[in-house]
Amino acid sequence: MILHTLNASPSSAAFADCLRLISPGDALLLLGDGVYAALPGTPARLALDDSAVQLYVLHDDAAAAGILGRIDSAHLIDIQGFVELTERFSRQMAWY
Amino acid sequence: MAASEAKRVLLVIRHSPYGSSLARASIDLALAAAAFDQDVSLLFLGDGVLQLCPDQQADAVGSRNLGRLLASLPLYDITQVYVDADAVTRYRLDLAAAPVTAQALDRQAISQLMGSHDHLVGF
Amino acid sequence: MIYSLLVMSSPASGHCAMTAARFAQALVARGHSIKRVFFLDAGCCNGSATAVFPQDEDQRLEPWVTLAEQNGVELVLCIASALKHGMLDDSEARRYDRPAATVHPAFIVSGLGQLVEAVACADRLVTFGG
Repeated sequence: MILHTLNASPSSAAFADCLRLISPGDALLLLGDGVYAALPGTPARLALDDSAVQLYVLHDDAAAAGILGRIDSAHLIDIQGFVELTERFSRQMAWY
Repeated sequence: MAASEAKRVLLVIRHSPYGSSLARASIDLALAAAAFDQDVSLLFLGDGVLQLCPDQQADAVGSRNLGRLLASLPLYDITQVYVDADAVTRYRLDLAAAPVTAQALDRQAISQLMGSHDHLVGF
Repeated sequence: MIYSLLVMSSPASGHCAMTAARFAQALVARGHSIKRVFFLDAGCCNGSATAVFPQDEDQRLEPWVTLAEQNGVELVLCIASALKHGMLDDSEARRYDRPAATVHPAFIVSGLGQLVEAVACADRLVTFGG
């Protein structure tokens, strides 16, 4: 099982490569420009929902982007939540 | 370093050879890992497969020839080299002419490869 | 657990480098140990003693210096990346006859072997890029 972190917009090759290699049971943390992939109803978000990945969004980065109100709070984590994800998942793959 | 248990490390290389300095950094890291007798594997993924283009003439832009650097990997006993089959097809690459022998893997095999290493380093 | 961090994000673009620093602080707060933070590629600019950031933005150097000085976290800049980015410590500035050192003394300039060792020793490797 892998913790994927994505710091690139949903239009990027990084997003496409990441999406292709997500396996059931993996987690994905969106940070930086990656947070836009969590916008409900967008093709990126629909694809992520289809992948059945555990989806997390870094709170402060979503706040900076002005999209906090559009993200279900169940997905939002702070930096300590990020640390906890790395405790749960022994491998991380950084996409950027 | 001898005291630490052996970790299997997979370098996931996603960037083209001359568009940034990341490609060079990833190959340098592979060579450094081999020099310290570490178990290192390479996966060229997405645009990373473009590093496997034959006939790179980097001196035309004043850069180090990454193709030639890749060709030296077997000299450092780096033989676990894998490549994203979908991207190879997308770019119509001829793997037989690539500077280094790489095993083509489909999506599922790449996921298994990533799951079989202790650490992943994404470039 | 023992963590090693690899930072390839520039302090001058985006805020991923600052996320890495906050992540390191959170690791320390939760009682984890950090073997080493290794800065590669544009990430080596995080060790700049001379960069000046706008006054209305967070200071990018101070969180790292605090980690080194108060928590004993080892901060290592990749020497090949550092030289390319004009990041020189005293000895490199002398070696290449440059007018001044630009690396903050909380950082060490060294080779990729330091990253190899940090990865080999760690239970967790967390990479920050882009």
